[in-house]
Order: sequence, then structure tokens, then C-alpha cells
Amino acid sequence: MIDPLAGILVAIYFIGMVAIGVWASKKINNMSDYVVAGRSLDFWVFTMLMIGSVCSGMSLLGVSGLGFKFAWPTIWEQLAVPLSIAVCIIFFGVKMHTIAKSCGYMTVQDYFAHRFESDTSLRGMSAVAGIIVSMIYLAGQYTAISIVLMWLFGLPHWLALLIGALIVTIYTVIGGLYAVAWTTLIQGLILIIGVLIMAPIVIMAAGGFTQINEAMAVVNPVNVDPWASGAGAVFTPEYIFSFILLLTLGLACAPHVINNVLCVKDVRIFKWAPLIGFGVYAVVMFLLKFAGFAGIVLVKDGIVTLPKVPNASDFIFVYGVQAALPSMFLWGIFAVIVLAAVMSTTDRLMLTIGTYFSWDIYKKILKPEAPEKQVLLVSQISVFVAAVVTLLLALNPPDMLVWLIWAGLGIMYATFAVPLLAGLYWRRATREGALASMALGLIASLGFGAVSYFKLGTLPMHFSFYAFVIAVVAMIVVSYLTSPTSEKVLDETMTGWYIRK
Amino acid sequence: MFGLPLITIAVVGGAFILILLALLYWALTFQEVPA
Repeated sequence: MIDPLAGILVAIYFIGMVAIGVWASKKINNMSDYVVAGRSLDFWVFTMLMIGSVCSGMSLLGVSGLGFKFAWPTIWEQLAVPLSIAVCIIFFGVKMHTIAKSCGYMTVQDYFAHRFESDTSLRGMSAVAGIIVSMIYLAGQYTAISIVLMWLFGLPHWLALLIGALIVTIYTVIGGLYAVAWTTLIQGLILIIGVLIMAPIVIMAAGGFTQINEAMAVVNPVNVDPWASGAGAVFTPEYIFSFILLLTLGLACAPHVINNVLCVKDVRIFKWAPLIGFGVYAVVMFLLKFAGFAGIVLVKDGIVTLPKVPNASDFIFVYGVQAALPSMFLWGIFAVIVLAAVMSTTDRLMLTIGTYFSWDIYKKILKPEAPEKQVLLVSQISVFVAAVVTLLLALNPPDMLVWLIWAGLGIMYATFAVPLLAGLYWRRATREGALASMALGLIASLGFGAVSYFKLGTLPMHFSFYAFVIAVVAMIVVSYLTSPTSEKVLDETMTGWYIRK
Repeated sequence: MFGLPLITIAVVGGAFILILLALLYWALTFQEVPA
């Protein structure tokens, strides 16, 4: 199904993104410009960057897909994901930005190295873990790009992936965070306006909000409950508890999200950004979930027939739009909206991987004497290599997009949340405690993730929660068994039970 | 209402409003220059 107008629209979008990359590349003079945009982001660029980093392929395709599969008991996602923006800013950002500005941090690893007096071991472990989990997450994003381009243009999977990845890679490599932030501003606006228009159209095509709920209740009364119960239920109250923690804390400390707080111009931006970021994104998320609910009715009534693929539920929003809107040109607009959502996360992930390698591993561990120009070049090469490697990973698409992303998110959560929270708020947290917490959190999340994925046992809560508990215990026990961090470092890093003094 | 049980509207709507109020409180009490 190739429509010339839809093709032109997508092409204009791609060219626009590359043009922003070219413009941004002229502002890049040093590593600070490339990695943290010279700490120049103002309110709207930063707030949209936070929304865009959190809002991914999962948000458009996976969220609707999950609503389609499990209905209202999944609604907590609509609060937890937008809340992660506020949690990141309030509990990590305010303090981290203040320290970063005075100490010149480029990445969160600079904070870890300073706070835990570990310039190689903790920095290296955190950077490597960050690169691995970001790559897993990135592979999931690529799949979403592929779903849209395959659907709209009937392109083969590999070609769709290649085109999408090429555009993101070009503007991210040349423009660094300036390009990522400014493209995200545009992508965020496209996404918000697009969802505000498209989702209600799909909901109306299914008969409206009330009728959808009534129809879902007829299919299964649990569909309209806030949680599920009984044999075989997934979204039980205890699972929802672990799910909310995963999304809220996991996204807040995800490398591609938390590093954004280092890029703002002034801490005053953090005054309204949590409320605006949460409010705007919550509206978008609710609409997307309701579009997934509408899909239940559209499929039941035979208006939509999903493709016979393993991750069919991820196609529900796409096919819902196709059924509700008769014009291929409008499908082109929809494709741009999905691409905008996916790319706004993909570019940030690529840059994070590139920065973690070039700054934390190459400059800080392998070659400290490397000149800045060389590190900048290594950054750009790393972004490119990250794109190629994850592209190869994504060539074999996962069974269900959202599960793959969740695996990455669960690992991020179990690995980074405890060292960050303990580092910022608990003066007794030590380097050894952080190392143990991070290592055990990573290993345990991989282990419990495997148990969950390969159905080796029954876990009543999300797999990442067990790994998180192990990380907490490791931090507390090992910290008490080892020597405390020096008072001088604790004061320099503003460690203590407060957000702001 | 809306074809939903009251408990669904109450807990989801309640949680949403609670979060909004908490974030509004944060914004209104945020000191632009720390004391």
C-alpha cells in the first residue's frame, strides 16, 4: 500500500529531522556541547526531552497492545509512566543538576565515581551495564519503526529498519544532544497533537468511551476492574504494585532519561516541569490506552482483523487507525506520529550509549590523556556502532515488543535505582555497597527475567521486583560491613535525607 | 458511570488527582533561590 502523498509526508519528516541535525552540528565545539548541549536547555525543550525520552514505541504501540490484551487492569501504566518524569526530576534531578553544574559532570557515572570514590570499578560497571540495557531497549524501539514502515509501505522488515535507523543515526551522530533535544521538541509536538486527534477517532469508531467499556464488560467482567483476580490472572494487585514501581523508578533512573537532568540551564526549570511533564504525558497515555480498549470492540465486531504474527496486539492502534480513517494520506500522518515517538527515544538511547563508551570507558578509564577532539570523534563513532549493533539485534523481532522493552526496563530498574537513591539520600552507603547492589541487581534481574520469560516458575510479581529487593539488601548489608565514605565527599555530593537545603 | 464500576473510577481517578495535587504543591513551594 504505497500512497505518494503519504510517502512525501514521511520524506518531509525525515528531511526535517536531518536538517535539525545539520543545524545542531554547527553548535558542537566540545564534549560538553555534544553530551549535555552546553547545559543550555530551557523549560520547554527540557520538558519535551523528558517526555520524548520516556515516550517510546511502547507508548504508542505497546501501550495500546497491552490495553487490548489485558484491558482496564493495565491502566496503572497510564499513571506510573508519566509519574517517572516527575520522580526523575524531583528525586534525582534537583540534587544531581546542582552537583553536576559545580563539578562539571557529563554523565551519571561522573556522579557515581565522585560519590562512591570509585573512578574505575563502579564507573566501568555502571557504564557497561548502561550500554547493555540501553541496547536491549533500543532493539525494541527499532521493531516499532519497522512495524509502521512495513504496514504503510509494505517494505521488507530489514529495509524498514535500515531506513528508520539511518535517519536517526545521521542526526544523532552529527548533532549530539542539541540535535536530540531539538528534534524531540518537534517530535513531541507531533506526538501530542497527533494522539489528541487520532486516538479519539479510533475510540469514536468503536462507538465511544462508554460503549467500549460496556462491550468489554460483556466479553469479561474483569476487563473493567482496576485489577484482575482468580486463576491465571496477570494484573493482580501485587503484580500491579511491582509494575508501578518498575515503571516509575525504572524509567526515572534509566540512563537515557536521568542524564537529561544534567543538560538544563537552571534548576528553576525543575519548578513546573514535573507537573507539566506528568499532566501532558498522562493525557496522551490515557488516550492511547483507551484506543487499545477500542481495539477489543473493533476486533470483536469484525471491523479489524489483526495480522497473524506473534506480536499481533502491538498492531492494534495501527489497524484501528486504518479502520477508522479511510485515507492513505491520513495513514501517512499517523506513520509520522509513530515514527516521531519512536525516534524521540531512539536518538536519546544512541547518544547515551555513545557517551557512556567515549566518556566513561574511553576517556575516564582506557585513555585519560586523550584530547577532547579525539573523545568527541570516539563519541560519534560509538553512536554509529551502537546503531549498527542494535540494528542487527532487531533483525530478529521479538514475540511481543512490549515484553522486550520491559526486560530492558526491569534490568535498568534493578541495576541503577538502588545505587542512585542510596547515593543521594543515605550517607552510610559505601562504594562496596554500591558495587554489590549494582552487580547483584543486574545478575538477579537477568536470572528472574529468564525465569519469567522461559516460564521456569511462577512469579506473582514482576520479575524485576525480586531483583530490586536483592539490590536493596545488598546495599544495606555490604555498606554496614565496610568503611563509610569520607565526610568531605558526602558534603561535596550533597548526600543526605533532603531534596534541597 | 462511563460503563465502569465505581471502584475503577474512584481508585484510578483518585490516584490521578492525588498525583496532580502533590506536583502542584511541589511547584508552589519550590524556592527558586535556596535558603
